[in-house]
Amino acid sequence: MKRGLAGYVAVAACAVFFALLPFTLSDYHRGIAAQVALYLIAILGLNVLVGYTGQISIGHSAFMAIGGYTTALMSHYHHTNLVATLPLAFAITFVCGVLLGLPALRLSGVYLALATFALAVSVPQLPLKFSKFTGGSAGISANRIVGNTWLYEVAWSAAAVAFVFTWLLLRGRIGRAFRAVRDSEVAATSSGVTLAIYKTLAFGVSAALAGVAGSLFVLATNGFAQPNEFSVTLSLKILIGAAVAGLGSLWGVVIGAAFIALLPTISASAPLIGSTHGQDVVFGAFVILVMLLLPNGVAGLLLRLSRLRARA
Amino acid sequence: MAELARRLPIPERLLPARPVLLVLVAACIFLTVGSSISTLFAQLTVAGVASGVVFGSLGLALVLIYRATEVINFAQGEMAMACVYFAYQLMLWGLSYWAAFFSTLAIAFVFGVVIQQVVIRPVQHRSVIAVVIVTVGLFILIDGLVEWKWGANQRFMPAPFGNQVYRLGGVPVARQQIGTIVIVLVCVLALWAFFRFTKVGLGMRAGALRPEAARLVGVRTNALLAVGWGLAAVLGAVAGLMTEPSQYVLSPTLMQPVLLYAFAAAVLGGLESPGGALVGGIALGVFLNLIGQYWTFVGSVLQLPVAFAALLLVLLVKPTGLFGHRSVRKV
Amino acid sequence: MGRKGRFVAALAALALVASVAASAAFGARAHRLDPGVTSTTIKIGGTFPLTGVASLYKVIPAAESAYFAYINAHGGVNGRKIDFTVLDDAYDPSKTVPLTQQLVEQDGIFADFGSLGTAPNLSIWGYLNQHKVPQVLIATGDSYWGFSAKKYPWTIGYQPDYPGEGKVYGKYIAANTPNAKIGVLYQNDAFGKNYFAGLRVGLGAKKGQIVASQSYDPTQTSLVQQILALKSAGADTLVIFALPSQAITAMVTATKVGWSPQIFLGNVSANPIFLQIAAQNGANVNGVISTGYLIDALNASQANLPGIKLMKSIISTYAPSLVPSMNGGDANVPYGLGAAWTFVYALQHAGKTPTRAGLMNALKSMHNVKDPFLYPGITLNTSAKDNFPTEQEILTKWSGGATGDFTAFGKLYNGVR
Repeated sequence: MKRGLAGYVAVAACAVFFALLPFTLSDYHRGIAAQVALYLIAILGLNVLVGYTGQISIGHSAFMAIGGYTTALMSHYHHTNLVATLPLAFAITFVCGVLLGLPALRLSGVYLALATFALAVSVPQLPLKFSKFTGGSAGISANRIVGNTWLYEVAWSAAAVAFVFTWLLLRGRIGRAFRAVRDSEVAATSSGVTLAIYKTLAFGVSAALAGVAGSLFVLATNGFAQPNEFSVTLSLKILIGAAVAGLGSLWGVVIGAAFIALLPTISASAPLIGSTHGQDVVFGAFVILVMLLLPNGVAGLLLRLSRLRARA
Repeated sequence: MAELARRLPIPERLLPARPVLLVLVAACIFLTVGSSISTLFAQLTVAGVASGVVFGSLGLALVLIYRATEVINFAQGEMAMACVYFAYQLMLWGLSYWAAFFSTLAIAFVFGVVIQQVVIRPVQHRSVIAVVIVTVGLFILIDGLVEWKWGANQRFMPAPFGNQVYRLGGVPVARQQIGTIVIVLVCVLALWAFFRFTKVGLGMRAGALRPEAARLVGVRTNALLAVGWGLAAVLGAVAGLMTEPSQYVLSPTLMQPVLLYAFAAAVLGGLESPGGALVGGIALGVFLNLIGQYWTFVGSVLQLPVAFAALLLVLLVKPTGLFGHRSVRKV
Repeated sequence: MGRKGRFVAALAALALVASVAASAAFGARAHRLDPGVTSTTIKIGGTFPLTGVASLYKVIPAAESAYFAYINAHGGVNGRKIDFTVLDDAYDPSKTVPLTQQLVEQDGIFADFGSLGTAPNLSIWGYLNQHKVPQVLIATGDSYWGFSAKKYPWTIGYQPDYPGEGKVYGKYIAANTPNAKIGVLYQNDAFGKNYFAGLRVGLGAKKGQIVASQSYDPTQTSLVQQILALKSAGADTLVIFALPSQAITAMVTATKVGWSPQIFLGNVSANPIFLQIAAQNGANVNGVISTGYLIDALNASQANLPGIKLMKSIISTYAPSLVPSMNGGDANVPYGLGAAWTFVYALQHAGKTPTRAGLMNALKSMHNVKDPFLYPGITLNTSAKDNFPTEQEILTKWSGGATGDFTAFGKLYNGVR
């Protein structure tokens, strides 16, 4: 009960912090902060799948592509309100996620990883094939470019909604079923959890969140959707973010998102290696170091710290 | 050694299940008949085999590591790419192609062992996902280091097999294609002999199949895992060194497309099965060439999606790949 | 010497004090300066692939920086030094966007100059035009920039566009080998397709001579299938619209499958180094036809051109690391110098105190401007209606195998766009 209260306080503090933050940031930094929010949503989505049901996915860039193209296409052809494209992207990618979740039922572990990897590689080819409609390799843009303040507000509001949604989902019956599936499929089945339903549901929710993140991703690149932006490296980036945040817990997501959104920019100015080739070296080294030093990511670290305090 | 083999009953399973075998035989007959009818078909098949063996050898590297540690090494392609750069540097220093080739294989072995000991071993017992992410980090790191040292612009190496073209029954076959196929097959045979006839190899198979039992009879699993990574790196280096002459250009992205196909090859063949990876690679190489030619809707854009859709279909019918066999699910 | 130096320093100090006083006195006027312009500097910036797949092009910003250093050492433009910021977007549009925002909002640039790549430029196209920031002399050969001048008045390209170049090959084939059976290999994106569309326009009534076309995807590891398909369709002429790596592979593969067609090669891949490599790997590259619009350091017949001499002196003084590329015939060196030359020219014609509008105006009213780094006879021409600076090209043919080079032949082709 007491821990729950602390949780509420932490969430409220976060909300106040992020609501006040834009007043202290320059327009440029608001744009960067908005990136953190969109990665946060994607990481939340991946965490639902990997951290809570134990199904791995390297295909989330594909869902981000679907969400992103939904926004760009709807805005381009139908002048849909940009905010209204977010729930639309959620719905469409939810369906896509469920559809992928069905064949994924027969796969597990590494085979699932590779199947989703295949998805990530294949989906960016589709806009190239149907280039009349999607603009092909030249991409397609939304009919309006949003400012960084707008982006910040929408992205962080979406992130807040996504966080609360995920939190409520995971603390209830569904969350318990997810964890049961992760810990032992056989045990879960014998205690009355229908594997097929919960596994596909997890895929759907996870994909839907990635879709929303993809929409925001497109809005953050001046409303411009292009196949190369959604390469498999984007999936890997989110996976890294999720691992840094800590799988199976929601409290590290902000740090995980900040890690992947900010580190490449910061490491560009790393000393020694220079500004041009240092990004990948520093980023890669950091990923490995974090995995070696923080087994359960930031969430694990937080947990350890809180235990230390409880003992003291 | 015989003692060890007796105490550790290791199943010998070279051939896949009968239906799969029938499909493969049918495919071979189809290819042979097609080749005898059309020169174009024959050329496509030969070229498909040549690129397929490269997919297969990198796929085989993935399989080796999967059998040892049950993870997929995402950095396998980048490790191979780095090895090609080592060879490139050695040649810049004046070594001949083949001297550089074999030195690189030795370096690759050390490289693999070091990576396993330094970054993989500490996370090995944690979770599959932890190891996967470390390999993703390695991917980025190696890419960055190579770009830092050699730059990302194109580099060029001498052609190892010369530029001759032979005609086999009217079908032009480049010496380079033959060379690639021969080198990869020799490496695979050497690997097979190593696993079959040496104590270390036997220990590794035992470690992969029955880790508990192996430890009980005194197999040093940790050292063997390191050797496994070293051998995988060597195979990867061979794949890399055979990819470069088929593309004529060396750049840090050399192995990224090959890795995609190597994944597919390994899964197609069954991640447990070394022979399967090779067969999977060849099947994929030939399949890609043939659909590119005879199914125009697919063209170049949809080759990757179609290849992966086919792969997914195989997985749904036979979730452990063509050569794999179902293992008992742990509770 | 020392005394003289001190005197100059004193003068400079005086000038500085005077200019500060002046700017204080005319404070209201100083406020009207456009962003990025001070009394002593003009700040510009651009995004380039310094790393990653397209990092081959990092030579371009280096040559541009060298040219600006040369101009600055010679007094700058109307007393203002050019401060050129080069940022690395690795050819990735999702990086181009924040970096460009950084240039515009943090650094306060006067103009986005020379940014490289079609997709990266597309991703900042609307943004820069919305903020009325000039996006000028960008390094991409697509035709969007020229044709959309009305909707995007702040954007202009530099080089001849891809469809226009494709048209040149089409016209040449239709006029010289009207019975050629043409096979086309192109990359399966806007870049390759636009080239291909231009070729068809150039062929005109001879369009039917295209007997086969094959596209490739950059993720493919071999082009054997495409080359065999073109060969077996009976083509005797091969037109390649590909990026350098694939162009090399295509030429070598053609020889290895026993095919020796007349090859036409898109300018993007016609850097001498690529043909030399292809030849070393067995390709028969003699007679390959491409186009050019820049001066060529390798070519002996051009050695006395003022542009060549200027290029050699600038590069050896301000960017010695580029000397090997320049001597190897790397076209990116004269390209960067030419684009920077054009920018400086436009600044000089944008008023004593340059404004963004003045810069665009200068870039859109060039008449027969002789850029010394362009092939002799090619001039820059623009107008309110014509937003394509370079619209002339010359055909070139390769000879000399693995140690050869392109030589220009025939007449200049006009109206390339």
